[in-house]
Amino acid sequence: MTGPADRPGPPPVFHEKRTYRRRRLIDAARIAPVAVLFLWLLPLIWPQTEGTGLRSATALVYIFTVWALVILCNLVLSRRLGSGPERDEDAPP
Amino acid sequence: MTTFNILVAVCACYVLFLFAVAFAADRMAMQGHKPWLRSPLIYTLSLSIYCTAWTFYGAVGSAARTGFEYLTIYLGPTLVMVSWWWLLRKLIRIGRTQRITSIADLISSRYGKSNLLAAGVTLLAVIGTTPYIALQLQSVTLSFSVFVPEASTAPDAQNGTLALYLSIGLAVFTVLFGTRNLDAKERHDGVVMAIAVEAVVKLVALMSVGIFVVWGISGGASEALARIDASEFGGWQIDRSRWTGLIFLSAAAFLCLPRTFQVLVVENSNEGHLRTASWAFPLYLGLMSLFVVPIAVAGLDLLPEDANPDLFVLTIPLHFGQDSLAMLSFLGGFSSATSMVIVAAIALSTMVSNHIVMPIWLRLSTRGASVSGDVRHAVLMARRVSIVAVVMLGYLYYRASSGGEALAAIGLVSFCGLAQVLPAMLGGIFWRGATRAGAFAGLTAGFATWLYTLYLPSFGAGSILPVSVIEFGPFGVDWLKPDALFGISGLDRLMHALLWSMTFNVAGFVAVSLLTFPSPLERLQAAQFVNIFDHSASTRSWTGGVGQAEDLMVMAQRILGAEEARALFSRHARLQGAKGDLPYPSPDFLEVLERELSSSVGAATAHAMVGQITGGMAVSVEDLMAVADETAQMLEYSARLKEKSEELSRTALELRNANQKLTRLSIQKDAFLSQISHELRTPMTSIRAFSEILRDTDGLQSADQSRYASIIHDEAQRLTRLLDDLLDLSVVENGQVNLNLREGMLGDVLDRAVASAAIGEDGARFRIDRVPEDETILLHTDLDRLAQVFINLISNARKYCDAPDPGLTIRVSRENSAVIIDFQDNGSGISPEAADMIFEKFARVSDQKAGGAGLGLAICRQVMARLGGSVDLVPGGEGATFRVVLPGPRAMAAQ
Repeated sequence: MTGPADRPGPPPVFHEKRTYRRRRLIDAARIAPVAVLFLWLLPLIWPQTEGTGLRSATALVYIFTVWALVILCNLVLSRRLGSGPERDEDAPP
Repeated sequence: MTTFNILVAVCACYVLFLFAVAFAADRMAMQGHKPWLRSPLIYTLSLSIYCTAWTFYGAVGSAARTGFEYLTIYLGPTLVMVSWWWLLRKLIRIGRTQRITSIADLISSRYGKSNLLAAGVTLLAVIGTTPYIALQLQSVTLSFSVFVPEASTAPDAQNGTLALYLSIGLAVFTVLFGTRNLDAKERHDGVVMAIAVEAVVKLVALMSVGIFVVWGISGGASEALARIDASEFGGWQIDRSRWTGLIFLSAAAFLCLPRTFQVLVVENSNEGHLRTASWAFPLYLGLMSLFVVPIAVAGLDLLPEDANPDLFVLTIPLHFGQDSLAMLSFLGGFSSATSMVIVAAIALSTMVSNHIVMPIWLRLSTRGASVSGDVRHAVLMARRVSIVAVVMLGYLYYRASSGGEALAAIGLVSFCGLAQVLPAMLGGIFWRGATRAGAFAGLTAGFATWLYTLYLPSFGAGSILPVSVIEFGPFGVDWLKPDALFGISGLDRLMHALLWSMTFNVAGFVAVSLLTFPSPLERLQAAQFVNIFDHSASTRSWTGGVGQAEDLMVMAQRILGAEEARALFSRHARLQGAKGDLPYPSPDFLEVLERELSSSVGAATAHAMVGQITGGMAVSVEDLMAVADETAQMLEYSARLKEKSEELSRTALELRNANQKLTRLSIQKDAFLSQISHELRTPMTSIRAFSEILRDTDGLQSADQSRYASIIHDEAQRLTRLLDDLLDLSVVENGQVNLNLREGMLGDVLDRAVASAAIGEDGARFRIDRVPEDETILLHTDLDRLAQVFINLISNARKYCDAPDPGLTIRVSRENSAVIIDFQDNGSGISPEAADMIFEKFARVSDQKAGGAGLGLAICRQVMARLGGSVDLVPGGEGATFRVVLPGPRAMAAQ
């Protein structure tokens, strides 16, 4: 089995499209906590003046919307990341 | 109206139900229905152990008092779940590959298996968790008082009794299902199942109340939101430092609380479950917190001013006459409390028994851990005692604090204490440079700061810390006041404590880690932990196909023997209901196999072997060390074996040589016997013949007569000589010879010997070279015997020397004080085979040259031995060289 196609050459500069997608998904999974933390720390800079400030109901809706986003985001990420093999980060495509 | 007894009955029924669930789950697990028990759903639900009665009741109370702050308690864990890919996945992988049993074990294992660290973390966990258990007991008694108003006015003793019964019940449950088996992986199917059921109960309970409030009372979602806006916290108001601090704190607590670590890492059976939990648990938390604000607002609006906001979840349904809803809600709170106590007790008991009780026990017991059954029993006993102790400690704390308001704040105080483990934990799994000393320094600094600034003051001024210390600082040092370190006052006390304890903790951890040097074991573990994904194989638990089973079979056959291995495999195949003789390599079977193997090759080796074939488990440093240990023992053993076998082969060689010698001797003896009989017979025959002639023949001439008589005489002499030799040998050998010691010159003795040996031979043909000057040595010995030896040697040389011009050289030399006389002829020498025979009796170099009876040299050797010297054949050299050695004291120089 030493045909020219099987001969090991230098690793390709660019990954296959699937591997590339997967790596970006992993990037997304790594960034997600920072993004979510940012969104949930935003209430810190909301105006807190009595009467004219933001209404509580709006704040509540905002926080729970982010929450729903988190759930959705994790659902997608876990499905996509889970379907691929566990260790194709180091393995050649 | 619900009475006290009905409530107790409901609680009892509920607990019985939990027993049944846990029992059924354990039974199913034993029958091998693991996949269903260990589903991602169950895992997610078990994570809800984070939500205790404190969050069930307290969240609404907190919302009623401080608005949206309660959300932070749920936001922190959600953030952790969002970090599943880079944080939780790694933590769980480490937990699985390193067989982590608790958070104390994780820390200890990472920092070179330090038991001191583990004991420290355990202590911290016990101190931090005990008030929390008390809090659960309090919330249950408090919820009782809502249903039975007279209970609230009843003396403390009644509440105390209730709490005591509850504690006992929980302790019994935990002991029954938490210490059923001593599994290395510390998984408890029954308990996890019960926790999952309780998670459903508390979620359904809280959501039912929420739905009732939003759609039953307020009339819809938008109306409920409008009601919130119209309420007293309609404007957005948060304490900014607490919002940030509490998100951090709850995130840290979710990772570090012993009970959450237990379900998150230790009870995890499949890494894949985390993927489901990553979105399902935030969903659970979101649902738990969704209706908190509406309930709080409704409670504040509709209930009387003095109503306890902590109990709105119960009092709102009761207020509207919804008794069954209130009962459901009560069960929700009860579930939260019981599940927390159960899992906390299991987690703490594991830590206490593994890191405090067992080290002490092993040190005290003189036999050590060699008796494995004994240790297992002791560990189980320690677990049980620890569980009872932990629960009872919580009960005592509850009684001591008399269920006062102080307890309500203790939840966050506990969180803050346990969060001190976070730097050491995160540092341990992400930073290879973190050292044991650093972890110890950080933990100590953080723990001490927490104790001083938060925990001790939480008991109230004057109870433990004197009032003066709290108001003016210790010894009047102003900037050391517990609530205003370095003079920075005005901060919320919790945030103040969190800030400084974490600062000192991280600073101590990093600084000391940078300055110290880790031990080899620490460095190995650091590499294992930080690069866990490089070292560990895929973690599809112990899954595998029949191919693996075949490999296992081959290995088992090699170790256990073919018959036994086949019997074991087919027995388990039958148990599993599998077709054919190969069982599916399930964890149960692998465990059994590992145990079987370990009895032959040692536990560590067995673990490594099974792990290698199934590929599900990396070999830890401890395993390697144990393997190395076993290997060293084997090497030593095999070295000893080799030594023994060399010794045996040496002995065998000697025996073989001796046997050859004996065989040769036996042949010689036979030859000698035939020879001697021949020798005796020949003269006898001629004596008989000639004496008959003399007797019977008349008229013999006198010349003939005298010739025949002289023949008879000669033959008789020959016979006598032969018999003399034999007699001489036996005398010398038996040591009966009497030595006639005299003084004389060596030269004279040699002269006599040469002259005697020449008698009757053709002396002209045999040349003897001597150096007379060397022979002037005065001897004190039996000169006759010595001469006999010399005669023998010289006549031997004369007889056997096969050179055309035979000759003998006699050399005399001195070595130290001994006299050495060499007799060297110029013949072809003596062959090596014959060399070790010639001194034996009846030995003759060849049968052809039948000169004597073969006794001469044997006699010489015996004589020389009697004289204290020796006669030997000098190996090598030209011709045959015999060396006679006379010992020193008897040999004196003449001059």
